[in-house]
Amino acid sequence: MTDTQPSLQVAASAKPPFYRDATVVKWLVQVATLAVTLFAIAFLVREAGDSLRAKSIQTGFGFLEVDPAISLGEGIDTDPATGGRALWVGMVNTIRMAIAGIALATILGTLIGIGRLSSNWLVAKLASAFIEYMRNIPLLVHIILFFVTIAVVFPEFGEDVDPVSGEVTQGPWNGVLHVSNKGFSVPRVHIADGFYQWMIIMVLGCFAARWIARQRYAARDRTGRETYPVLTALGVVAAFGAVGWFIHPIFGFVGDAVFAPIRDLIGATPPNLVQLLLCAAAIVAAGLWIKRFFDARRTPGDSAKLTDDDWFRVIFAGIAAAIACVVFLVLWPGLSSWLVNSGRDLFDVLANKFGEGRSSVSDDPPFSVGMPDIEKRGNFANMGPSGLNLTQGFAAVFFGVVLYTAAFIAEIVRGGILAVPKGQTEAAQAIGLRRSTMLRRVILPQAFRVSLPPLGNQYLNLTKNTSLAIAVGYTDVVQVGQTIFNQTGRSLEVFIIWMLFYLACSLTISVVVNFFNVRLKIVER
Amino acid sequence: MSSELEHLARGTAELIASADEREAEEAASRPDEPSLPPLEWLKVNLFSSVLNTVLTIVFGLAGVLAYQRLLNWAFSHEREWDAVRVNMRALFTFTYPSSQYGRIWVTLGIVLALAGLSLGLSRMVGQGFSLKRISTWCMAWGGAVIAGILLVQPHAKRSPDGEVLLDADFEPVRESFGTAMADRGWWWLVGVILFAVGLALWVVLGDVKRRTTFVGAVPFTLGVLAFAVSTLWWFHWGNYGQQGDIIEPGRTVKDSAKLPWTVMWLVLTGAYLLGQRLATTDRAGSIRVVVNFSWLLAPFITFWVILRDPQIDYAHVVSTDLPMALGFMIGGGAVLFFLTKPGVGEAGRIVGVGLFGLAIFNWVAAFFGVYPMLQKARISFLLLALVALAAHNFAGERSQRLRFVCAWAGVMAMLHYLVTMINAPSTVDAPDEFVGGFLVTVYIAVFTMIFSFPLGILLALGRTSTLPIFRVLSTIYIETVRGVPFITILFFFSTFLNIFLPDGMEIEQLAAAGLGFALFSAAYLAENIRGGLQAVRRGQYEASDALGLTTVQRTGFIVLPQALRVSIPPLVGATISTFKETSLLAIIGIIDFLRVANSVIPGQTVFLGVRMEGLLFVCMIYWIGAYGMSKFSQRLERHLGVGEH
Repeated sequence: MTDTQPSLQVAASAKPPFYRDATVVKWLVQVATLAVTLFAIAFLVREAGDSLRAKSIQTGFGFLEVDPAISLGEGIDTDPATGGRALWVGMVNTIRMAIAGIALATILGTLIGIGRLSSNWLVAKLASAFIEYMRNIPLLVHIILFFVTIAVVFPEFGEDVDPVSGEVTQGPWNGVLHVSNKGFSVPRVHIADGFYQWMIIMVLGCFAARWIARQRYAARDRTGRETYPVLTALGVVAAFGAVGWFIHPIFGFVGDAVFAPIRDLIGATPPNLVQLLLCAAAIVAAGLWIKRFFDARRTPGDSAKLTDDDWFRVIFAGIAAAIACVVFLVLWPGLSSWLVNSGRDLFDVLANKFGEGRSSVSDDPPFSVGMPDIEKRGNFANMGPSGLNLTQGFAAVFFGVVLYTAAFIAEIVRGGILAVPKGQTEAAQAIGLRRSTMLRRVILPQAFRVSLPPLGNQYLNLTKNTSLAIAVGYTDVVQVGQTIFNQTGRSLEVFIIWMLFYLACSLTISVVVNFFNVRLKIVER
Repeated sequence: MSSELEHLARGTAELIASADEREAEEAASRPDEPSLPPLEWLKVNLFSSVLNTVLTIVFGLAGVLAYQRLLNWAFSHEREWDAVRVNMRALFTFTYPSSQYGRIWVTLGIVLALAGLSLGLSRMVGQGFSLKRISTWCMAWGGAVIAGILLVQPHAKRSPDGEVLLDADFEPVRESFGTAMADRGWWWLVGVILFAVGLALWVVLGDVKRRTTFVGAVPFTLGVLAFAVSTLWWFHWGNYGQQGDIIEPGRTVKDSAKLPWTVMWLVLTGAYLLGQRLATTDRAGSIRVVVNFSWLLAPFITFWVILRDPQIDYAHVVSTDLPMALGFMIGGGAVLFFLTKPGVGEAGRIVGVGLFGLAIFNWVAAFFGVYPMLQKARISFLLLALVALAAHNFAGERSQRLRFVCAWAGVMAMLHYLVTMINAPSTVDAPDEFVGGFLVTVYIAVFTMIFSFPLGILLALGRTSTLPIFRVLSTIYIETVRGVPFITILFFFSTFLNIFLPDGMEIEQLAAAGLGFALFSAAYLAENIRGGLQAVRRGQYEASDALGLTTVQRTGFIVLPQALRVSIPPLVGATISTFKETSLLAIIGIIDFLRVANSVIPGQTVFLGVRMEGLLFVCMIYWIGAYGMSKFSQRLERHLGVGEH
């Protein structure tokens, strides 16, 4: 005993040689991995640059400013002037599809999920048959099937030609609603010149409605009488909209009085000042982050014990701030002037938009309507650009994506409903709620709380799945991007734009879903 | 390496054994639920309230209408199901030459033999289907057939030369209802027999007996398959190439398919019976390990050796390949035998690091073109160095060390054999790729899972690691890949990959696409496995630390086996997704299953523009595959008892 103890102490206190020291080895391996990764990336990028030069393919984002000489099937601008504009049209198409798809898929999925738990045998079986059919077949096959089916089921476009005048008409209601195998066409509502002034009134209306709704809620809590707060708020907004329709020109001064001075102010800012401000912001952000980090690690005894990992984070935050400063000051000095210029341009646009449309109510309404028309390209009739066109490609992708996602959402909703404790149902029955009220007020809210995170995942999937539009030629961002890189050879640049766009979409959806997730959570004490 | 796997297999085997006992106990006391009398059943399930009655009527009518529409469409005179029948081989194997078609059958035979063995050896025996369920199925399908016969509109009349007769409005002239009913004799027979069998089972057995008598799922399926195969012998399924000479002129389905499919059925059944016999022997455990390793090897062997038919240069094999393989097997084995000696200490570390340095130098030297070396030698050196570095974790008794060395030798032998085969040129006489159609779908899915699985484990370990740089790198990779749609990644790999590679290095489109699949799928697998890792309790880590295990031992022997067991069901889910995602190959121009139906068949002169038929067939095959896998996953979940603690 007395013999072994000193030697154990010696063994414990003796420092191992540096190549056996766990900390040294750990960091050595990590730094080596990082170095190898960075070297591999640098090598691949250099190779790519070499082979692109060898094939004399130009690189860079210049194509965003050049006329791409393509015309798009549908979108906010079917004849884009620049490559950037073309990609923007594709992005808007993707976003349009994603938002509409998420809304419809949620409703449909919820209904089918409830249907699958129905006490009616037939409804339950049909719902599960739908789910099994949709989710066990690839989405791409669904989309192609829808595409082919639409072509077969609906009447041909532009078949009815007047033999005398040669005018083409299309049913079922010429000029208002066109239904054909090219798709549907309905009147389109445009934003017109008066819209921006009208929007100011609407924003004021929203504030007013919020205030009134709070009053009504308070009144309801006080007296116990139903005061219809939501309906009242909606009514207030509608009233503001209706009145604003006739008085919106009075806000015509906003453009010159508010936005023009901001534009001039930004235009007069020297870029060096912006550089310094950016650097200061980066340093302050890093400093604040480090301070909060230390505070969080501090024990009640006011001593902070930091692990390797913590030190890594602190050092990383410092290095990130330093790198940001170097970028702002040395590597990319153009950034600040670019920021100044684009800020000025933005407020210039705003000043113009808010300055227009103040002449009279009748000349500049907030909205205008474009009716469906028919265009003859050569011998073939096509849907004209004025109406809101739901093309064959759009319909195929839309229904494919919506029904496919609805099947997954239905399963999530079913799981959520099953996760609601049975006592809740029994309690709701005990106080005499009707089945529909119970579903709406007791079960579904709790089911949604459980199923919101997986629902958010499905929304992400839906957004990403719209990229399969390329198979049927719907002009989403992937399809436009592919057309552009086929023409210009800027494959890598287009790929980077795709990646950033989808990452931004994913991030937005995650943030929105997380916001609701936090709000729906049970408040725990 | 091997003892780790064995350990894993043994641990899983014990878990499964305990699950078996549980399931067996439950099965003995779990008869099917009693059934209500028909009228009461209707009342409870369909007409319990006014709302339910309305729902039943509305959805019932809608269902009947949809069923009628579907059947009218499918049996219309405008359908050309010949497009599918004639192109059956194109759909499944595309242009694989018919002179070497035996290779396809051998491949299928190997897969079926392994499947039969696994089924026979499996202890995952549920109670199967009760006679009550079988009887209900028979009656339901019989009823559906009879309803279909009554619902389908009468066929269009044809003139003697096969043309459809049209009336003044260019609508086809149809038979009278009575003639139509009389013409459907075969269908009547099928429907009535099915219904009668179901009814007879129901009536004759009585309530208790039909609920407690079970038919095993596998024998039942084998019986159904036997019936399906037997129809090839006595039923006329039509001709290939009836309308032209597309595949095999004049040959009928019956002639070309009946013999191979009968053999396939015999192989499956024989393997199943053999597996059942082997399961009762003492060596059942090791036979299971062998079968599982065969499953792992089967895709490689069938793809590169059987289907690809490589032309082997025997002189080169004897002079170079064989000595090199033997060198790595024996030399590497000797090194590892030395390194796994308990108490080898610092010397082992020095040897390991030295080997690692040599392996790295080999790659760097190749990069700068210092000295040439066969790629497989470089790979082998790297593998040897990595195993040598981890070898001290496997220190143990002499027999254990010998087993470890044997496993190394086995892995080396397989690796060198496969690389030699892959490097030999193919002799299959196919226009471009020797695989296409459904084959490409299956192989891409299988290889994706095989290659993305280890990568996914590494990424998951990296993401949950305490080492910050590993964590950051893994997280960036996983989140970036999961944030973008798969089709963009596939475009990247199929069109841009070659510009990233050094001069003179080219990668085929199919291989590039496969790489994209594996890298994409790895990010999703990593998230599934991470879920499993987080489910491993803290105490398990602490206990293994208390035992003095190294990090590698703790991860390999304690944490991963438990984590993987929890993540098996989501991993099957990932396999289903990959199987469905293979359809995206059609977009980037690889002729897969979907592309044959969507582009190749409609482009044939005989079947110009015939698309729906092929697409529906593709739908059916995808559905069967994905549905089967999801059912398997549910069964596995119940069997492993995940989430039942």
